[in-house]
Amino acid sequence: MQGRYPLDYTFTEPLRQKYKTSELERRGAYADTGAPVTGAVAVGGAVAASFGDGTVRFFWPDSDPTVVNAHRGVVLCLASDSDYVLTGGDDGRFLRISLDGDIEELANFDTKWVDCVAATRGLYACSSGQKVLVWSMGQSQPTELEHSGTVGGLAFNSKGERLAVTHYGGATVWQENKRRWKRSRFVWKGSHGATTFSPDGKYLVTAMQENALHGWRIRDKANLSMSGYPAKIKSFAWVGETPYLVTSGASEAICWPFDGKDGPMNRSPVCVADGGKKIASCVQALPSEKAVFAGFKDGTVLLAELDEKKKAIVLREGTGAAVTAIAVTNSGSHLLIGDDKGKILWTPLWA
Amino acid sequence: MSGTEQVPVTVLTGFLGAGKTTLLNRILTEQHGRRYAVIVNEFGEEGIDNDLVVDADEEVFEMNNGCICCTVRGDLIRILGGLMKRADQLDAIIVETTGLADPAPVAQTFFVDEDVADRTKLDAIVTVADAVHLDNQLGEHHEAEEQIAFADIVLLNKTDLVDGKGLERVEARIKKINPYAKIIRTAHCVAPLDEILGLDAFSLDRVLEFEPDFLESDHDHDHDDDVTSMSITSNTPLDFEKFQAWFSELLQTKGQDILRSKGILDFDGIDERYVFQGVHMLMDGSTMGAWPGGKSRSSRLVFIGRNLDTMGLEEGFNACKVDTL
Repeated sequence: MQGRYPLDYTFTEPLRQKYKTSELERRGAYADTGAPVTGAVAVGGAVAASFGDGTVRFFWPDSDPTVVNAHRGVVLCLASDSDYVLTGGDDGRFLRISLDGDIEELANFDTKWVDCVAATRGLYACSSGQKVLVWSMGQSQPTELEHSGTVGGLAFNSKGERLAVTHYGGATVWQENKRRWKRSRFVWKGSHGATTFSPDGKYLVTAMQENALHGWRIRDKANLSMSGYPAKIKSFAWVGETPYLVTSGASEAICWPFDGKDGPMNRSPVCVADGGKKIASCVQALPSEKAVFAGFKDGTVLLAELDEKKKAIVLREGTGAAVTAIAVTNSGSHLLIGDDKGKILWTPLWA
Repeated sequence: MSGTEQVPVTVLTGFLGAGKTTLLNRILTEQHGRRYAVIVNEFGEEGIDNDLVVDADEEVFEMNNGCICCTVRGDLIRILGGLMKRADQLDAIIVETTGLADPAPVAQTFFVDEDVADRTKLDAIVTVADAVHLDNQLGEHHEAEEQIAFADIVLLNKTDLVDGKGLERVEARIKKINPYAKIIRTAHCVAPLDEILGLDAFSLDRVLEFEPDFLESDHDHDHDDDVTSMSITSNTPLDFEKFQAWFSELLQTKGQDILRSKGILDFDGIDERYVFQGVHMLMDGSTMGAWPGGKSRSSRLVFIGRNLDTMGLEEGFNACKVDTL
């Protein structure tokens, strides 16, 4: 229906009166789209960002960005697999968008929002209300999975054999066996949102609607409660080989170790990227390094190694708009920072 | 960088059939260039025809700390978050609750959830009441009483179907439960929208406008369950610490029965007026400027709730007065 559109805005010179410009910003390009940035992911050689005006924009290292008019309202969620992105919108549509900007409508829920999407290894899923649709490898018809509450988050494990669905009261983990999906319940009081499996698939972690993370060890459903955050956890990322789960929601990036047989149980997190009084709103891993980007509510972005003794590098000082998305190209060459006022910084990471 | 404006949210309550959908359709068709989003909970009734209608599941939960005051609407938080991502800013959001819903968890969401409070503000609780059936509903359903008790505005609908005496009787019942709500009589929900939306009734400024003097204390009850109101005034300044201790204990222990509370307080040693407003155990308060010239300083406190006469409110309040020897 809608295809690829030429760029409808121009990159402008940064307006810098109040704030010092960092080296990274001088190298980079800016866009002011006017619509809140709702997400960003690496896909193929590009970074895709989604916006509150229904557009998805692809940012390329060596050429101008391209813009796709995907949804009629807000792009509520965004995920990527090899060479496409999946989006869900408040127009009820679940879309697959190729790097060329070709749009395929996978499902249409009409007036119901598509709240969550997930993809891995050719598997993909979306949620609308209490319902999840999941497409198994090579199947054109989805399987419908019902839940007891509105779905707050979706995640596949990295092998693509389990699908976690969060809702009020905990999570449901679905496992596919001979084309049948079997459920297993993980119970914890409260409302659960965004979710992620640890890279080895042994743990499931959810961000709650309170200021806390919750987790379960899949093997025995042992509970992990990670609380004490001053704000909600809106963002997390797996970093390093340990690995650490790095989270926003505090004045530093809070990094929980998931090694050993008990993961973070009875251990303290590593805290890096100190933002002073500011609260981190978005975190992202620097690929292949034990380092993390931390974006803050005032627009500051820091890069920190996961070592409390080392000082973070200031990539950008505050701009007044909360960082809502950080993504790095798969090659680690370029960085995208997006905020809730619709501004984008797209910049090579290395001089 | 301009600050982000808070979008006002009106909570619309009322029993099934009272006329909520009629009112919603009016709001949406007479919007005069304004952009409203409506979050609906109810199925059945006649449909609402607009692009900006969002379906919500009824999902109420207590926070993990188990505190009853932290009962919030999970689904509401999710939907408000989605609406705040829109490129165009909304002029207002209207949340329709189901006929039998307790409006408290909706109101409390604005006190408890930081993201919601950052981007939106509770404007007013508007209750649509059916002039024909309200009398019966009040007798039979707890929820009807609570919806009246929480209201800033009671839209008394279907007045064309009741005679003058009947209307007076039903208004008297509303006033007995909640003398502070403004009652608007309508037939077919035809009332000026600016009397329903954009009232800012939950702002602390508005507390300053309330005049509890007309209240005649009315202590006779039919049964203990009745929701009533009570106001206390004093010309003697209050001791800040004593009041804090008494009031926080009161809300903690009796907050389930105290549906709403408001006050303008004169604290000894504090030059400005202290203003607060509360829903169950949660309250928001701050100093709100100097006392108006020409008027003497005084404290006024109002409660709407159940079993108010068993709480020793006057005694507790009197014990907070500074000793004037």
